[in-house]
Amino acid sequence: MKKYALRRILLSLFTLLVILLVLFVLMQLMPGSPFNDEKLNAEQKANLYAKYGLDQPIFVQFFRYVGNMLTGDFGVSYNISKNTPISQLIQTRLPISIAIGGMAVALGTLVGLVLGIIAAIWHDTVADTVATVISVIGVSVPSYVFALALSYSFGFRLRWFPMLFTAKQIFASSVLPSVSLSMFTMASIARFTRSEMLEVLGSDYMLLAESKGISGPALIFRHALRNALIPIITVLAPLIVDLMTGSLVVEKIFSIPGVGSLLVTAIQSNDYNVVISLSFIYSAMYIGIMLAVDILYGIIDPRIRLAKEENA
Amino acid sequence: MKKAKAGLALTMVAALLLGMAGCGSPTDTSTDAGSGADSTAGSSAASSGASSGSTSDLNVMLETEVESLDPQIATDGTSFEVIADFTDGLMQMDASGKAVPAVAQTYDVSQDGKTYTFHLRKDVKWSNGDPVTAKDFVFGWQRAVDPANASEYAYMLSDIGQVKNAQDIIDKKADKSTLGVKAVDDYTLQVELNVPVSFFPSLMYFPTYYPINEKFFESCGGKYGTSPSTTLSNGAFVLDTYEPAATSFHLSKNDKYYDASKIKLPGLSYQVIKDSQQALMSYQAGTLDTTLLNGDQVDQVKDDPSYKSVGAGYLWYIAPNISKIPALANQNLRLAMTFALNRESITADVLKDGSTPTYTAVPPQFATGPDGTDFSADQKKFSAYCAYDTAKAQDYYAKAKKELNASSFRFKMTVDADDAPQKVAQVVKEQVEKTLPGVTIDLVVEPKKQRVEDMQDGNFELGLTRWGPDYADPMTYLGMWVTKNSNNYGSWSNADYDALIQKCTSGDFCTKPTERWNAMFDAEKIVLEQAVIFPLYTQCNAEMVNSGITGIEYHPVALNRVYKNASKADS
Amino acid sequence: MKASAQQAAAPVTDGTVFYPDDFELKNNADEIRIDSNFAAQSFWKEARIRFCRKKSAVFGLAMVLLITLLAIFGPGMNSYTYSGQDLSRKNFAPRVPVLEDIGILDGGENISTTTGSKKLNYYQLKKLDNVYYWFGSDTFGRDIWTRTWSGAQVSLIIAVAAALIDMVIGMSYGLISGYFGGRVDSAMQRFLEVANGIPRLVIVTLLLLVLSPGMLTIIFALMLTEWIGMSRIARAEMLKLKEQEFVLASRTLGAGSFFIIFREVLPNIIGPVITQVMFSIPTAIFTEAFLSFVGLGIPVPQCSLGSLISEGFNSFTTHPYQIVPPIVVMALLMLSFNLVADGLREALDPKLKEM
Repeated sequence: MKKYALRRILLSLFTLLVILLVLFVLMQLMPGSPFNDEKLNAEQKANLYAKYGLDQPIFVQFFRYVGNMLTGDFGVSYNISKNTPISQLIQTRLPISIAIGGMAVALGTLVGLVLGIIAAIWHDTVADTVATVISVIGVSVPSYVFALALSYSFGFRLRWFPMLFTAKQIFASSVLPSVSLSMFTMASIARFTRSEMLEVLGSDYMLLAESKGISGPALIFRHALRNALIPIITVLAPLIVDLMTGSLVVEKIFSIPGVGSLLVTAIQSNDYNVVISLSFIYSAMYIGIMLAVDILYGIIDPRIRLAKEENA
Repeated sequence: MKKAKAGLALTMVAALLLGMAGCGSPTDTSTDAGSGADSTAGSSAASSGASSGSTSDLNVMLETEVESLDPQIATDGTSFEVIADFTDGLMQMDASGKAVPAVAQTYDVSQDGKTYTFHLRKDVKWSNGDPVTAKDFVFGWQRAVDPANASEYAYMLSDIGQVKNAQDIIDKKADKSTLGVKAVDDYTLQVELNVPVSFFPSLMYFPTYYPINEKFFESCGGKYGTSPSTTLSNGAFVLDTYEPAATSFHLSKNDKYYDASKIKLPGLSYQVIKDSQQALMSYQAGTLDTTLLNGDQVDQVKDDPSYKSVGAGYLWYIAPNISKIPALANQNLRLAMTFALNRESITADVLKDGSTPTYTAVPPQFATGPDGTDFSADQKKFSAYCAYDTAKAQDYYAKAKKELNASSFRFKMTVDADDAPQKVAQVVKEQVEKTLPGVTIDLVVEPKKQRVEDMQDGNFELGLTRWGPDYADPMTYLGMWVTKNSNNYGSWSNADYDALIQKCTSGDFCTKPTERWNAMFDAEKIVLEQAVIFPLYTQCNAEMVNSGITGIEYHPVALNRVYKNASKADS
Repeated sequence: MKASAQQAAAPVTDGTVFYPDDFELKNNADEIRIDSNFAAQSFWKEARIRFCRKKSAVFGLAMVLLITLLAIFGPGMNSYTYSGQDLSRKNFAPRVPVLEDIGILDGGENISTTTGSKKLNYYQLKKLDNVYYWFGSDTFGRDIWTRTWSGAQVSLIIAVAAALIDMVIGMSYGLISGYFGGRVDSAMQRFLEVANGIPRLVIVTLLLLVLSPGMLTIIFALMLTEWIGMSRIARAEMLKLKEQEFVLASRTLGAGSFFIIFREVLPNIIGPVITQVMFSIPTAIFTEAFLSFVGLGIPVPQCSLGSLISEGFNSFTTHPYQIVPPIVVMALLMLSFNLVADGLREALDPKLKEM
């Protein structure tokens, strides 16, 4: 097991390095440069390129970047916050995104699980249809529409929550963004829980449990849900990372100083370093979560571990 | 069946929202308590501030985050506006946009117009107690042209200000110490120019020309302007809270400001709001004192006395690629297109924010001539070449078709991926296609940065673009269409035009304001006669300003909003 | 399998001699096809019956068909075109004949201004008695009914095309990776990890910047990012199936890898694959909607459901009726595809047969 985990970790590090290189190449392909304001002339552009080392060949830039990164230096922003070290930008912004994303995941998972279980137990009844409709609305209405609707009704009309994010009332002002973000998670989890639960409920060991006289909540929670949860964890992991990227629109609407909105502005203004650093952090988070899930999975379920070791 | 289902879906949304309301209600009270604390925090800050004038902060919004608080690095209007809140230059703008003394008490100009001597006030202090001296200006200006610093706005000193040796320093042909600016003593600054620049004093309110305290700058170790503790103020306000790309931050009145008695606001509270509907709701809820609107919202507010439209200075125009697209090289086709544009309809029906239709290459209301009149006040002066007239458009179109021996034309029009430009482009497409049957315009939507790059590279057919004035002189526009200028997107070239502009910028007319003014009229006429651009409109911003607020100054040039003379009535 | 058993039995009764050739895989396509057809037919028939028994699935299918029909014929049902502007008739509220007589959808709307709300009916104000915008008109005076359905058309084309291409790429990738296992699998999975590790937004926006924007580019961009989920499912199924007896038998009979992958295993995983396709259609519609919001969707004045929603979003607080039609159509489409997918999953999944 230890050997397997170590192997996986090393492989993941290698993958991250490749991702970083790919990101570098992609940035080179990006049309335009960070410095093309209408008012800039050629000499000034050359000076800017020289200042940031963008006049060097890509491999020099790449290795220098990797070297700096090992010391925690992600470079500086060219555009969206000129000359600010990106590590500084990320330090203040990532926790906010994670907090709001985390709240959204927690809320979405909870509601999604409930909806999914209801739909599975009362399969093919009105309750199932209602749960399906709710989850479909969750996937089909874009989060920014939810965001504005919530802000209008609960922020503007009812005045229950602040309409915009403020550092003074972090929790209260995170509620509306988290709720609007959680819709998609909620819907996906509900859909997935429903199908997993259906599968588990139809399995032989459930038949056995039932024939042994277990029924009601004990049957559902002790036997069915526990088994259905394992695959749900696998979908949850990528959902968490998706949520971070998905949050960018909601961040824009609620004026949240997070990383999602930063990424969009960075892409649109060709702020290479910011795009590379944020993308890389996303990748690292994604791969890290997947790795953790994989290893945990192996610990939980020996069958998987064995199969993995054989394959790997 | 479909309707019933739709109804059901809506009910479900409603039910879902109600369900959430149920979940959220326990936090109610805490929220209220929070907002209560919020307002008390505001008022306590206020009481520590000014003893006279308003008692609460002015709450204002920004559409984008501040890019930089370093005056020689910043390039965008938002950053300039905030930098000017806490920094004063040699000159400042008065309410009408004229340059009036700030740190400089007086200035002298030499006979030949090439040497300016600024006499500084002696009572101006940085917020760390150091006096503001001529050396701070020298340091700031040298940074602006230093190739190692690579300021994007270095051209303010070289091309526009014509400060001696600025261009050579940028081109690394001279050391930055050779820049034509000198601290004669602590309170006398002498500037040498290559040629007389009649509007030079008005450049002094542009943040690129702002001073920086060298000692303090060095002590920040590269982090200058990234937090309140690495920022120094010599202006009306002091930065309290700020972090890079913050979505909200606060400034308080600077009690050490030399003009502190005139500042009525205890502080300024900034909030970045990118969504205009959220902004209006915040305004209506009372958390903002002033807000920007989008055109669609104007319907909601046009009867409100707090609604006003403020000039933003930008001229929006369509640039045809004259040198690369053979059909667009045909002057008659270009004229046909410019006559086919119904600018009134674009501003009244689509933009609705008060933007004004424009028929000149230099937009109105920013440049005042030697006789005190606006350069472009008369919008009908070129109506023979630029107006809305479908009959003329069709005449020119018929001629163009004959000359080009073609009956249909297809052009791509490059447009920014922002809301307003896309709307305008769709209307332009419709108007041209309707008036000139056979012309098809396909819209190509790109992020602004790329659109600018494509147009500078000549990689476009028609482009919808804008230009904001950098200084209060028509030359900020007319200088663009000189042969080989990077913003002469269509690569149009005309020897007469180049000669006229040369005379005005570095030739005989530099010291003859009236002749210079007339020559610029002639130059503008050539641009429109040949339809080098199709001017569309001058951008205005629709704003709401709460009735208790007075004294906010709006300018189309350099500093879009100046708050230091504003006051807020207690409500 | 059955066919080869019969072959083996035949010579014995005839009393003829065995030749080694007799035991090679009978590459006689006819016989094999007869066999698989037989099995498939009964399978599909059974699936169809099970699908039809599920009312929600049938409803979903009917809705998909209805929306598709409206997307094709809806824009032609009145005289407006999707791009035709009339600035004198902008922001008209919905007005439908007959319904207006009973007081709903009569073209009136409440405009809440900062100075109070007022009820307006532009049709009456401008004395346009015979003008009807069923879903209202937008800020350019374009008919929202026409735009909604031509938007649905664009969204459906994008989604279906992207989903089908994903299916082909993702399925082949996953099957090949799962079948060969070992180093091939390891390398292919690393590649997948890299592809998946880069945020989609970066890849998609980059592509849209490099290529000229348009429907094909959007399909291509969606294709590049959406195949990964499909390949995961295909690989997992392959891992499950490849050790099973029928694969072993086929291999013993000399079948090549590609024959086993695409002729033996593929038909057996069609159920989960189709379900995944059905689920990936809504994802594609959604991703396109997101691109529209960032300003990189379908170029104006063309429209998709996503771009209509983001257009309507800008007038959400002023003219809320403009966002309703695209959202409702989108929600119905998503719901229907989900219902169909659920129905198909249950109909095609042999494990759920008994239920």
